Amino acid sequence: MRPIGLPPQILRLVLLTIGIVVIYLVARYFLTPSSFGEFGWYRANALGDLASLQPTYAGKKACDECHSEEYQKVSKAEHRTLSCEACHGPGQAHADNPDINKMTVLTYSHCVRCHEANPSRPKWHKQINTKTHYGQKCTECHVAHQPSEAP
Amino acid sequence: MKDHFTRRNALGKIGAAVAGLVTAVAVRAGKAAVQKLFVSSGAPKGYDPTKHKWVMGIDINKCIGCGLCVEACKKENHVPEGPSYFRTWIERYIITKPKPGLAVARGEVLVDSPEGGLHGFPEPPVPADQIQHSFFVPKLCNLCQHSPCAQVCPVGATFDAPDGAVLVDPKYCIGCGFCIQACPYGCRFLNPLTKTAEKCTLCYHRITRGLKPACVEVCPTEARIFGDLKNPVENDPLQRFYENNRVQVLKPHLGTEPRLLYAGMDKEVS
Repeated sequence: MRPIGLPPQILRLVLLTIGIVVIYLVARYFLTPSSFGEFGWYRANALGDLASLQPTYAGKKACDECHSEEYQKVSKAEHRTLSCEACHGPGQAHADNPDINKMTVLTYSHCVRCHEANPSRPKWHKQINTKTHYGQKCTECHVAHQPSEAP
Repeated sequence: MKDHFTRRNALGKIGAAVAGLVTAVAVRAGKAAVQKLFVSSGAPKGYDPTKHKWVMGIDINKCIGCGLCVEACKKENHVPEGPSYFRTWIERYIITKPKPGLAVARGEVLVDSPEGGLHGFPEPPVPADQIQHSFFVPKLCNLCQHSPCAQVCPVGATFDAPDGAVLVDPKYCIGCGFCIQACPYGCRFLNPLTKTAEKCTLCYHRITRGLKPACVEVCPTEARIFGDLKNPVENDPLQRFYENNRVQVLKPHLGTEPRLLYAGMDKEVS
């Protein structure tokens, strides 16, 4: 019985090879995600997966929706380059549910984080030495939103 | 021999066609089910990655080393606690005055980054009068055009997205760590919880929603500049950054062609 005129051991090898290739092609068809190769040698839907995460910081515009008065004050004063969330902490939870999730209230540590004197800080940046500068009573003389104004 | 048109023949052909259709549908459904088992799909909605080119710039002269960016990055991206898990961090460079008598321009170069600068920086380790100059350098993914990390990934989990971000597919990453070794800027780490490689994504979930990356959002001095080269806005901070500064990249000799540009960088920074 030699259907194609090949020796049986060779025929078996050929059939085995074809079988392996078929199994590989079937597996590849089922296991390759449909978006693989859309932009390159990767799963393009990974972009969507990463984009679907939820932000923690809401962004300055979200603050403006309710606190536009404060927002306007800050954007005219020296601290205009600061985002609200730089000092008050992440605000997405507060923006979603303002009654339950409150923002951080400023304390002394928020001021010195940027304004404590350090020789590595650029010279243009206003710095104080907390040991010689009246201690931890920043807000008695400075307004956080308008630093140059007296309270 | 030619087939005659008989009832048996016609029914047989219709049956075969229906069976073929059912098989095709079943195969497609099977494929979808298999893929759902391994990877869920969540294609971007209303965001076309080919229509953006995100770029970041860093002005070293403006960085005050407050560490707000590091803190914001950790909170925004749920980066694990720990001394070596950072998507962005700040390095402090201190260049001391040369010892008297030595004909050199500069003394020692001291670099430190306590907890990545997360809680700011303590007093420098040398007295202030011995410091020739000192500055802070924020570090993050350098957004290479020829990314070594994407080149070495054996499973196609790390890739250069068409919009300029270099991303990791957490469902494909096998945690082999090749990319961590390949990155010449040390911008990657293995997440101890998920056991996958992690890195700066330019806050991909934020930029696709029209927000700025968290580090750019909170930077109090606008030392971090972020923008879209394909969609310049009016009075674009990125364009102003290019116009007003002489910029350079980290380790240009490696040919990675980073798109993260630094202004005011010193030769000691690497």
